[in-house]
Amino acid sequence: MKTATGIIRALNSGIKHLAVKRFTLRYPEEKLEFVGDGYQFDPSTGVGIAGLKGRHMLFHDHCTGCQLCSIACEGVAEAIGMVKVPEEQKQNKKSIMPQIDYGKCVFCGLCVDACPFYALYMTNDYELSSFSKEGLIYTPAQLAVKPYVRQDSSIQITERGATHG
Amino acid sequence: MTLNVGPQHPGSGHMRIIVQIDGDHIVACDPDPGYVHRGEEKMAEYRNYITNIPHLERPVIHDSCNILYPYVLGVEELLGIETPERAKYVRVIASELNRCIYTMYWLAIYGIFLGHSTMFMWPAGDRELLIDLMEKMTGARVTHAHFVPGGVRNDLPPNFEDVCLRQVNYFEKRIKEYADIFYDNPILISRTRDTGVLSRQDAIRLGTTGSVLRASGVDYDVRKKEPYDVYDELDVNTNVMKEGDSYARSRVPWLDMMESCNIIRSALEKMPSSGSVRVKLKPNPKGGHDTVYKRVESGRGSLGCYIVSDGKPEPYRVKMSVGSFRNLIALPYLLKGEKLGNMPAVYWSLNYWPVEADR
Repeated sequence: MKTATGIIRALNSGIKHLAVKRFTLRYPEEKLEFVGDGYQFDPSTGVGIAGLKGRHMLFHDHCTGCQLCSIACEGVAEAIGMVKVPEEQKQNKKSIMPQIDYGKCVFCGLCVDACPFYALYMTNDYELSSFSKEGLIYTPAQLAVKPYVRQDSSIQITERGATHG
Repeated sequence: MTLNVGPQHPGSGHMRIIVQIDGDHIVACDPDPGYVHRGEEKMAEYRNYITNIPHLERPVIHDSCNILYPYVLGVEELLGIETPERAKYVRVIASELNRCIYTMYWLAIYGIFLGHSTMFMWPAGDRELLIDLMEKMTGARVTHAHFVPGGVRNDLPPNFEDVCLRQVNYFEKRIKEYADIFYDNPILISRTRDTGVLSRQDAIRLGTTGSVLRASGVDYDVRKKEPYDVYDELDVNTNVMKEGDSYARSRVPWLDMMESCNIIRSALEKMPSSGSVRVKLKPNPKGGHDTVYKRVESGRGSLGCYIVSDGKPEPYRVKMSVGSFRNLIALPYLLKGEKLGNMPAVYWSLNYWPVEADR
């Protein structure tokens, strides 16, 4: 008897969920909302600003070509290489800037922590897939573009359960 | 007959279990870990104290805050850093959330291997509530690289306390619903009750830890016995069951999750509302000639980290003593005389994570 009531209770618990709205995020149609503009770091206080660790963003007018981001990445993923850029910036005598290979990057953000010149931040862009390995290597010119990320859905908790909406 | 379960079998999880069977009964069992050994401890000797962080959390990506915790505490003692009060609370919240994320993942696997596919879908879905919180907090869904010596990488986002409280409350309400469908389900009870019984004496003698030890009736939790960071200011209640069978071992982590929700709520309440969360370090910090051992309670039991420093920016030796490996020792004792069909129920109840045991 106890077994029968136990099974009925278990079934009943599942049946109750037929009336509940679904929690699943329908990914390509709706995309998650994030806090802020991506992970950033303030070298004066030494504390980061919360945000998603996605694709990087490089500010050409701040980058001095000091290679600290590349050195920080050496022990982690070796994803950052310094390459020559055609443009001439006043603060960048050697004209070298980071180029990031997203086939290797682990998105830990230690390069952002290493940058003392407010030149390297991370953005909310997480859709980085490519058909070739070369397509994953982002040149300094590509990194300078601020991505547009659609954010239209976050977790809503109501009386009838949680949904993405 | 000898039967190899694994190492590429979903039921063993990247580990080989060599089972000797006679008919349907297991005569002897020899677990053979090491298939996913990555040499994390050796790698740590070639990287400095900060760049060690992203790769040391790789063994358990679902519990990445907890596996970094003893390393970070150890490096703090080596370098003589005093962590700000707010950072300690942020760490406690992050590690409790991570414990729940890990336990939900484990529960999903435990459910599917007992043939309960609803118990795979529900924890995998409800885990999303906490992953969303961790993403807001640290910027990554898994492998957060959030803890550093001297605090945490970034402060909490604005309005985080309210969002966290709301989602944790809802999460607790959801996991209480698991009682009807899973834990009080007579089918689960008949599968797991009295299989793989580990007595209190054996649990202590074999050196098991975490939920396996608590399910055998030993009230031991590192958070309570040797409080680290601010656990001494928070109320930590441990859940102990006396039976020591697979059912008790699967129930204790579930009860621990509810306790984690309580800890998160009281930590949010007591956390200082402002203040620094990270101490500024020199670029390549060096430790003195010293050794340090720190341990914390992870999702799988006590997790210790032994660091030897010889005055260089890189550690001389990093040794991790993980809960998974210590619990695996009990497997041959538990499986002896069991039926082969009970193997998944006993094996997964050990709360075992192969990658962590291999490191």
